Amino acid sequence: MEIKNEILYRVYILLFAVVIPAAVVLIYQTIYITYAEGGKWRKKGKELYIATRPVEPERGNILAKDGSLLATSIPYFDIYMDPNSTGMSEKDFMDNLDSLAHCIATYVDNTFTPGGFREFLLDRRRAGDRYVLIKRKVSYAERKFIEQFPLFNLGRNRGGFIVEKRSERKRPFGLLAQRTIGYTGREDAKPIGVEGTFDEYLGGQPGKELMIQVDRTNDIWIPLEDLSLVEPKTGDDVVMTIDINMQDATQEALLRAMNYHDAEWGTAVVMEVKTGAIRAIANLGRTDSGWWETFNYAIGTSVEPGSTFKTASMMAMMEDGFIKLSDTIQIDRGTTEFFEQTMVDASPFSAKIDSTTVRHAFEISSNVGMAKLVTKYYGQKERINKNEGAARFIQRLKDFNLHLPTGIEVGGEGNPYIKEAYSKEDQWSGTTLPWMAIGYELQLTPLQLLTFYNAIANGGTLVKPYVVQEIQRFGETIRTFKPTILKRKIASAKTISMMHELLDSVVTRGTAYKLRTDEYNFAGKTGTAQVGYRRTSEGKTFIRGYQASFVGYFPSEAPMYSIIVVINKPRRGGYYGSDVAGPVFREITDYIYRTQVKLHAPLNQQPKPALAGQQLPASSSGTRADVLKVLDYLKLPRYGNPASEVVALRAQTDSLMVLDRSLTAKNVVPNVTGLGLRDALYVLENRGLRVEVDGYGKVARQSLLPGTRAQGQTIKLFLQ
Amino acid sequence: MSTLLARINAELKGDRAIWAIFAILAILSILAVYSSTGTLAYRERGGNTESYLFKHAVILSAGILLAYLAHLLHYMKFSRWAPFLLLASIPLLFLTIAIGPEINDARRWIQIPYVGLTFQTSDFAKLALIIYVARAISSKQEYIKDFNSAFLPIIVPILIICALIAPADLSTAMLLFLVCILMMFIGRVAVKYILLLFLLGLCVFAALILLHELMPDIIRVETWVSRWSEFTDPSTDGGYQVQQAKIAIANGGAIGLGPGNSIQRNFLPASYSDFIYAIICEEYGVLGGSVIIGLYVLLFFRTTRLVTKSSKAFGAMLAMGLSLSLVLQAFVNIAVSVNLLPVTGLTLPMLSMGGTSLLFTCMAFGIILSVSKFFESETE
Repeated sequence: MEIKNEILYRVYILLFAVVIPAAVVLIYQTIYITYAEGGKWRKKGKELYIATRPVEPERGNILAKDGSLLATSIPYFDIYMDPNSTGMSEKDFMDNLDSLAHCIATYVDNTFTPGGFREFLLDRRRAGDRYVLIKRKVSYAERKFIEQFPLFNLGRNRGGFIVEKRSERKRPFGLLAQRTIGYTGREDAKPIGVEGTFDEYLGGQPGKELMIQVDRTNDIWIPLEDLSLVEPKTGDDVVMTIDINMQDATQEALLRAMNYHDAEWGTAVVMEVKTGAIRAIANLGRTDSGWWETFNYAIGTSVEPGSTFKTASMMAMMEDGFIKLSDTIQIDRGTTEFFEQTMVDASPFSAKIDSTTVRHAFEISSNVGMAKLVTKYYGQKERINKNEGAARFIQRLKDFNLHLPTGIEVGGEGNPYIKEAYSKEDQWSGTTLPWMAIGYELQLTPLQLLTFYNAIANGGTLVKPYVVQEIQRFGETIRTFKPTILKRKIASAKTISMMHELLDSVVTRGTAYKLRTDEYNFAGKTGTAQVGYRRTSEGKTFIRGYQASFVGYFPSEAPMYSIIVVINKPRRGGYYGSDVAGPVFREITDYIYRTQVKLHAPLNQQPKPALAGQQLPASSSGTRADVLKVLDYLKLPRYGNPASEVVALRAQTDSLMVLDRSLTAKNVVPNVTGLGLRDALYVLENRGLRVEVDGYGKVARQSLLPGTRAQGQTIKLFLQ
Repeated sequence: MSTLLARINAELKGDRAIWAIFAILAILSILAVYSSTGTLAYRERGGNTESYLFKHAVILSAGILLAYLAHLLHYMKFSRWAPFLLLASIPLLFLTIAIGPEINDARRWIQIPYVGLTFQTSDFAKLALIIYVARAISSKQEYIKDFNSAFLPIIVPILIICALIAPADLSTAMLLFLVCILMMFIGRVAVKYILLLFLLGLCVFAALILLHELMPDIIRVETWVSRWSEFTDPSTDGGYQVQQAKIAIANGGAIGLGPGNSIQRNFLPASYSDFIYAIICEEYGVLGGSVIIGLYVLLFFRTTRLVTKSSKAFGAMLAMGLSLSLVLQAFVNIAVSVNLLPVTGLTLPMLSMGGTSLLFTCMAFGIILSVSKFFESETE
């Protein structure tokens, strides 16, 4: 028991001299930290003001119809240093300071010498700075390189290396559809365009990151860890309906015209007739340095359309059954008066004509003719009630949806302005109706007018214009925007077909005559509107400028695209719609015609032989099953179905004749020339012949003549 | 309920107090791991906090099962196995140094083929060495004060094993060395030799530094040196981790912020292993921290009671050695959290979120319980 006692004695020494004192010391130290030093540590804990802050997600891209990048975010990095990082020891700092200063001065910023940087960094550390800029806007590769520098390679905590990721929005196609693509994030302006409307998709979900405030006065926060608590969710991609090539052609054509005519602003929009998809939308406004996409005129500017509106007036009268194209009307050599206000035709065609047909008046865009017609049918004062007179005319315009915005996804759409009939509020007067007939005293945006013309091109079905066709997430479509039909039928089929005829003849015989081409047919209406005009009480009109426009569709037989071109205040090179806007329209349609093969008529419509003799399949002979399989697969017309195991082909004018390729009796050498090697081997070896082969291709020659008795000899085949 | 308790009572033999300590520590470990893995789970598992808890719970359950099975075994079996276990651990340690995967800059782990689990070979070697030393001391009691026949045969394996662990994991090697010396002290080895050992330990340490100069790639000293300088350098205030740990302890006050309310777990790297004590203090206060320390002291105290009962020296030595190793490791870990020692990387036994090392800890508990169980039956 002596041993046991000694052991026990020693265990108790251990218990009372080591374990219990150690436990006491540990508890004491815990209490000491909690209470004696507690205030200091708790203060420090609060000083390190840490909060969960949002992390900006990567913004989604905007793509054209074909996937071209219209807008994308390019990431870059800002590099900072925290010279008083909590984990940075004095030793680490001093050991690496020289080499770090050398690296920065050599590779990053040579405005200072290494010595200069050394002083600078030392100074910042002594001053207690937590956030020293090293370099802004570095690429990922540069960032990786800088990360390797001495001290920085110890990481954020020990090395004080801070990286802040930022990104920049870029539009690789520059000016193209810029205003419609839009922008967000500028503090002084509200978001516009698709960027604004689809911000919800493009913006993604911000993540969360623990950040530490290093500078309270300037509210500077730096991430505490390299990883976020919640990773931000990258924004979705928005695919626009824009066809980048068509957009380019449209923008180019418009810009050329803007330059040539020195105009104030202009817009051109191409819309797909069946769907309402906007394939191109260009907006150019005058700036000090040429023309830029400064405003979305197509969508945002409500203007008096002028003559292009006559189409609506004509359609109203046709729909009411008031007129036939062959009716005769007075156009008074292009000048008349309504309530002491003089109306003059813009074009010179009517100068020598007293009266003409409705069709011709429309073709030459006679203001007088159109105004007289409308006042004749809708201007009767004695029929003032809800559905008669001007009210009926206004109702027709409403039937055409001309009083409503199109509802395109891009924000900032201008509202149409159509006066209520006889409304005092709208300052309805005697001159309102005749001037409305020719597109004044009312306002529409170019896109609204185009949507109306598109409905005519689309057989009366009004579709909503749209610029975004789908939303993608990592290349997968997550939402598709389908074309929207706003109104199944805005007018009767008869009216629509008469309008087609009228708009055709504007080009074939009327104001747009000089725009016509032999290559394809298009239909449309010119417009030469007065802008900034002022009518005096004496009945005179002062005109400050013109707005040239052309709106139409093409090809007129089966319209695919409707297009509007509006050019405001051209200062030189004419002002007529057909001279200023028309050529832009033609440039666009020319481009589309040239690039879309399906619009071209086939060059040779004669029936042609299925195959010419020299185009026969490489193996013009073969086993029956093989040959028939190939012909059927290629869907080549054939006739003849011989029973022999080997067949030959002969080209006829429009089909192939399958012929019996007699290989004679079993014990006779057959003619195998023209056969492929596989078939020749099959046939010959079946007859007990041994085959030697030379060359490659089809059998050109055979050493044993056809008809020779086959007795197991060797036959040599020469292939070519 | 009472039948369940009765059933448990019937199943679990051995010291009830040690069982209770084991159970309480297991429950606390679940709470502490759940609290401290918040950020880790966010970062690596997309916010799925439960995934770490689940992993921990699975390993803990396996550990409890292991402890239960170990306590069923008669502890004398370990005495017979001791030489083989020790011999097996030597090639394993060599293998680890040679081919083990590098995790956190150190080769401490070895991958079990086909299973894909990594385990720290030093855990295995530690257990094997403690069993072996217990056996050697108890079998040489008659002539224990002798140098050649007792001291040398005991000390040589200790030196070999510690030397093999030291290159990759100096803290574990030093702690194990200390545990063995204390076991020898309890086992009546002459005090003069033990003092000699302390001197030897210092020499080995110096030699390691020298070896590092010669083979900087193999001997891992930088971490240790930088931790030491961080610990002693007054300008860094103990370094980032220690500062954050102290803030956590200070935040806790007397009774803590309450379960799951830790703030500092967001800023404390390795809050789920090395600094879990600080998180426990933050959530459960000085009270919680004291309870943890108290539990380990109680464990040691219950083990000393086994010595008073012991009829065979091996069992007592084995229980003492294992208990010492658990308690000392716990104290070293806690001392790091309260900035009394430089950062070591040692976990808090039973409480830290652990992989396989938790299994070895449970195993150690199982063996201690086995000793207590058979002592009880022998005294009856």
